[in-house]
Parts: sequence; C-alpha cells; structure tokens
Amino acid sequence: MDLRFTAEELAFREEVREFFRTALPASIRQKCVLGQRLTRAELKRWQRTLYDKGWATPAWAPTWGGTDWNPVKQYIFKEELHLAPAPEPLSFNVNMIGPTLIAFGTTEQKQLFLPKIASLDYWFCQGFSEPGAGSDLASLRTQARRDGDNYVVNGQKLWTSTAHFADWCFLLVRTDPQARKQQGITYLLMDMKSPGIAVRPIITLDGHHETNELFLEEVRIPVENRVGEENRGWDYAKYLLGLERSGIARVGVSKMRVRRAKALAALVSSEGRPLAEEAQFRERVAALEVELKALEITQMRLISETSAASNAPDPKGSILKMKGSELQQAATQLLLDVAGYDALEYDREFLRGEAAAARAESDWALTIAPNHYFTRHVSIVGGSNEIQRNILAKQVLGL
Amino acid sequence: MSQATYSLSEDQLAVRELIRRVAREKVAPRAAAIDRTAEYPHDMFALLKDLGLFALPFASSYGGTGSLLTACLAVEELGRVCYNTGYLLVVQWTAFGALVAAANEEQKARFLPGLASGELRGAFSITEAQSGSDVSGIKTRAERAPGGYRLGGAKIWCTNSDIADFVLVAAKCKDADDRDSINLFIVEKGTAGFTVGRKEDKMGARGVPSCPLFFDGAFVPEANRMGAEGGAGFRRVMEALNTSRPIVAARAVGLAQGALDHSLEFVKNRNAFGRPIADFQGLRWMLADMAMRTEAARQLTYRAASLVDAGVEGEELASAAAMAKCFASDVAMQVATDAVQLFGAAGISNEYPINRYFRDAKVVQIIEGTNQVQRNIIANMLLGRESRR
Repeated sequence: MDLRFTAEELAFREEVREFFRTALPASIRQKCVLGQRLTRAELKRWQRTLYDKGWATPAWAPTWGGTDWNPVKQYIFKEELHLAPAPEPLSFNVNMIGPTLIAFGTTEQKQLFLPKIASLDYWFCQGFSEPGAGSDLASLRTQARRDGDNYVVNGQKLWTSTAHFADWCFLLVRTDPQARKQQGITYLLMDMKSPGIAVRPIITLDGHHETNELFLEEVRIPVENRVGEENRGWDYAKYLLGLERSGIARVGVSKMRVRRAKALAALVSSEGRPLAEEAQFRERVAALEVELKALEITQMRLISETSAASNAPDPKGSILKMKGSELQQAATQLLLDVAGYDALEYDREFLRGEAAAARAESDWALTIAPNHYFTRHVSIVGGSNEIQRNILAKQVLGL
Repeated sequence: MSQATYSLSEDQLAVRELIRRVAREKVAPRAAAIDRTAEYPHDMFALLKDLGLFALPFASSYGGTGSLLTACLAVEELGRVCYNTGYLLVVQWTAFGALVAAANEEQKARFLPGLASGELRGAFSITEAQSGSDVSGIKTRAERAPGGYRLGGAKIWCTNSDIADFVLVAAKCKDADDRDSINLFIVEKGTAGFTVGRKEDKMGARGVPSCPLFFDGAFVPEANRMGAEGGAGFRRVMEALNTSRPIVAARAVGLAQGALDHSLEFVKNRNAFGRPIADFQGLRWMLADMAMRTEAARQLTYRAASLVDAGVEGEELASAAAMAKCFASDVAMQVATDAVQLFGAAGISNEYPINRYFRDAKVVQIIEGTNQVQRNIIANMLLGRESRR
C-alpha cells in the first residue's frame, strides 16, 4: 500500500490550499484559529462561498452537486479545510439529510431541496432524540396521524442542536404505534416556520446555546414532505446514522488542535523554560500524533474499501467514530494543559468572538476550557461510544 | 513508609454523620443554583457558621477538634453535594491556618476569634499574573514607610477577596543587604490604595468568587506583618499549607463520590432497550471502576491526614500529601468524566447536575499546586532534585 500522494494529488492539494487562502474571510479564519463560536450568518456566508465554487458537497452524487473526486481527493479537501482552518460545513445538511434524500427522496424533493441544502439556504436540524429515546432511538414516541394530505405531529424532541438557527428539520415520528418499534416510524421534513413548534434553549456545560428542546403541538406537515415510504423511516435513519459516523472522526480538527498546542507550548513557560521543551510534553504530543496518523490511515483504508457505487455505510465506521472522538478529546485536553491557569477564566463574549471582548495577550486561553468541556459531547452524540462498541462486537467481530 | 494506621473515632463518625445529613438536606438543594448564578452563597456561609465548623481542624484551644482527618471528612461530605459550600469552609481554614502558623499573639487575638465564629472572613493571596506555581517569581513589593510598609503590585485569582474582611498578602521586602524575602501582610478591607477588582467568571468553583487585587501604595502598619522580616513567617505559612494539603485531596474525594452518587441514581432510572441502563455490563464495570478509584483516593487521603494528626512531618508527610492531592484530583477528573458519559447527552446539559462535578474537578487538578508540581515533589523524594545543565 503506497500512501504517498501522486503528483496530480499534490497539485490538487495546492489548488485547494490556495482557494482556502484566498476565499476564506480573515475574520472567520481568525475565529476558527481561536476556537470561537461562529454565528449563523458567518456559517451561511462561508457555505455560500463553497457552493459558488462548486465545492459545497464533494461527496454527493455528481448529478446532485458532488465533485466526483476520488476518496483521496475528498480526503485532501477535508484535511485542508480543517487545517486552514475553515468552518466545517453543517453536518446535518451535507452529511445527513442531503445523502438521505439522494438515496431515498423523490425527484421533486431532490430538485426542490438539494441545491438549497448545499448552499445552506435551507438550514436543517435533526429531530431524532427524545427524552426517553437517545441511544435507544427506536423507542421514540412523537406521534403523527394522517389527516387528509397532512401528517399532524405531537410530541417532544430533545438535544435538537441548532434548531434555533434552522429553517427545516428532518424528523422521525411514530405513525404505527401497534407495529414493532423499529417498524412504525416515518421520516418527515418539517418546515420550522410551521405553527405549533416551540424551541426552548438548553445551555450546555460550556455556557453556550447550541442545543434545544423542541415541543411539537398539532404541527401539520404535508404528505409530500415524507421521505420514502410510511413506516420505513427507521431504515432511512439507520442509513443516515451510518453516514454520520463515518464523517465524525475529524482527524484534521484534532491535527489542527495538536499543531496549535505545539505552537502555544513554545510561548508558555514551565519552570523557566518553554513547555515545548519539556520531555514529558514532547512525548505526549508524539504519542497523540502517532495515534492520529493511525486513525488517518484507517480512515483512508475504510474510504477506499467502501465502493463508491453502493455508498453503503460500513459498520467499521464505528471504529472511526470511537477513536476519532477519543482523540478529539485528547487534543482539547492537551490544549487545556498547555493553558493551565489561564484557562480557568470564563469569558462568554470572547467565546462568541464578540469584537469588544479581546483584551490581553493570554486571551487565546479563554476558549480552551469551554471547547474542551463541550468536546465531551463527541463521545456521546451520533450513537454513544458504548453503542459503537456494541455495533463493533455484533457486526464486525460477529459476537 | 511509616506503619501508622488509622481508624475513624466515634467523634469523627459523628461529625461525618452530622455533615452528611446537613449536606443532603440543606446544601444539596442549593448546589445547582450556586453554580449557575455564580453568586456567593451567603445562606451556606450562615449554615456553616451555625454548625460551628470554622475552627474544626485546629487545636481545641481555638475551638477545633485538632484533627485534619476530621476536617477532611467534613469537606468530603460537603463537596459530595456542593463543591462550592465545601470551598467556603476551606477558604476560611486557609486564612485561619496561616494565622495560627505565623501570627503573633496580638494578631491571633485580633483575628482568630472572629474567623472561628464566622464574624470575620479572610482570604489568602500569593498568585500573580506571571507566577502561579512558581511562588518566588512574585513582583508585589512592600517598601518600608514610617510605622509600616507601602504595598505596590497586583495579584490575580484571589479567592474570597471581594467579601473578605482582610487578605493575607505575600509581598517581597528588601533587607539591609538588598536581599529579597517574601513576607505576609494582613491587609484590611478599606485600606487606602488597596482595591479588589472585578470578579472573574470561572469555569468551575463558580460559587466562591476570585478577583484580582491591586495595591497602589497601600499602607500596612508594622503590626500587620506576620513574623519577623526576612521571610520566616511566610515559610512557616507555606509549611502549614503543605501540611493541610490533604484537605484539597478530600475535596477531590468528595467530588468523585458525588459524581458516583449521581451516576448510580441516574443509571437506575434511565431506561433504554427495555431495561434500566444499570443492567448493561459495560456500564456496570465502568461504575465499578469509578467506585474502586474513589475508594483508593479516599484511603490515600485519610492516611495522609492521619499522618498529620500523628505529628509526622518533613519528607514523609510532603510525599504522602502530594500523592493524595494529585491522585485524588486525577481520580475526581476521571470519575466525573465517566459520569458525564454515563449521563449521555444529559451529561453536557446544564440542566443536569453532573457537568458541575466535571468542571469543578478540573479546577482541583490545577489549584493548590498543580498536579505537575505534586509529581515533582514525589519525584524529588524518590530521586533528589533533577540536575540542570
């Protein structure tokens, strides 16, 4: 196996790098470097730039806006995006609902939704989890009954991230309470402007508002906004969760963080010399980089094994999800240890990147603790790491 | 290693039982709001005052039990439900212990009865922007002036300072030979030229405020210097602080136990795949590990405290105390991290109690001598100091 890039791939990398260098607004780049949270407008602006370039949705089928890059090129693109660092395209749109519609949507749905999903004109959120249905998603209880050309939805969704930004929501509802729990679920697209939707913010451990609770009362959703067949929603959702997992390793993000930790460690002094010169620190960085490299190669291997035609999620994606989330957490932990005392302070304005917030030389440390704390979520969402172990045991190891 | 073993006395068990009950009934219901609002919990201070705990670790002549182990039990039980309330106690003890170690009789008479009763509140301040773990790097200076000193400089992260009646401030003095020594000064609230800055917003330990301090020629009378000039007083206080380090470990044990308590409650009541998640072996083993680590941390902490109570000093104590602080806070971090995972998405929501433990545990790894410094202490005992080229 030769893992070196070819001359053509290197040229492609240069092209991508040049694009990020020129097209990414400096203010957005700076926020990404500092780990500050982006606004809705900033994400939309950036996604629009990618869309205009034709690079918003590289992995999609070419007919529907994909770039037809081979897995290596897709990998290079993602890596350069993370290292730029540029904002990641909204996963709900690009990795989840887009591919789901491409696989299961009607032609009308594809024509109507896919371009707007790609450009982020329609911001989607994910209405899956409920108070009693997290890892055990199939236990969901939000009900939908048919009323003429509409479904009428009642229930409650939880951990609906970015619902307060969203134009649409892809939603799982129970349409057949009598059937086995996986078999009575339907997949709907809900316009967030529909009457009967209440969004309540949930503040998370970083003090930030990212996620929400969603209350649905007699919300009417036209039948034409159903994805696929009634009561088959579980199959579509499973397909989508598999896709979510393969995109979740975020090797480039961790690499960027380790790179930043190294740079900052040269500025931080530990007993009179730069922390970067301490043997223990260097060993830790080395160990982390080795693990990242291993994950990267594993990811490349899985990508090239997955046939582009079938595009079926591979249960081995659970490895990427598990290991990728652990390494994301290890990288933020490393940053936190570099920041030490300076990370204790909490500054909401700085975290949000508000102009008035920056004050002192060590301000870079202010986002590190909240981002580290919030990164606990990566071993929980997208199927908790415990669920991933179950999947691996059952579907890969055959236990 | 000394053979000292310990068992909890009747009195100690009684103290633990009392505080456990009060903590559950009166403190636990307040814990989330204290963390959320980051407002100083006057009601919790009043509660501790009513319980008469402010002299607990100190000799009976000061109204205490003379047992650091007893103090550890109290802090553990409070910290188990509310880190901040336990912290109120520790902050008061720190000022108390410093005065016991190095104040003269007149100073003790002036401040200790008030601290013991809770009529007075103290704070302790060494850390500066450029010197956290490295105490010798402080820049705040005390210049000789008629009848006393004038202080100039700035401090950061001074816990309790915006509410304290006095702050024990470390500052450098020059002696006749132009040599520096660090001395402690009792700076009273309202002193001209002494200001307490804006309260820092913190990621953890949010209920007890930390503020920067500014000294602009603040006058401190000679009567408020602790110990003779030349640094002896400061050294005695630092030794006393090292001796009391098991209390920091006990805060971590409390956090770990509390995170475990919440986790057990949660997994028994949370259902997935048709049964409580407490029935899944993977999670049961996680909880077994959490309990195992917590108990190991507790034993190390109690033992270190019992060594203090038995009068052990020097390297043996320093090493045991460093191990207890470092191990217990690393355990608290690990256990709290696992607890967040067990709670699932609820673990990262501020509407559930558990991420408070996670944020507070990180603080204990950093404060009171970072865990890296503790490892240095232990390694120096094993190997001597490292040679520097």
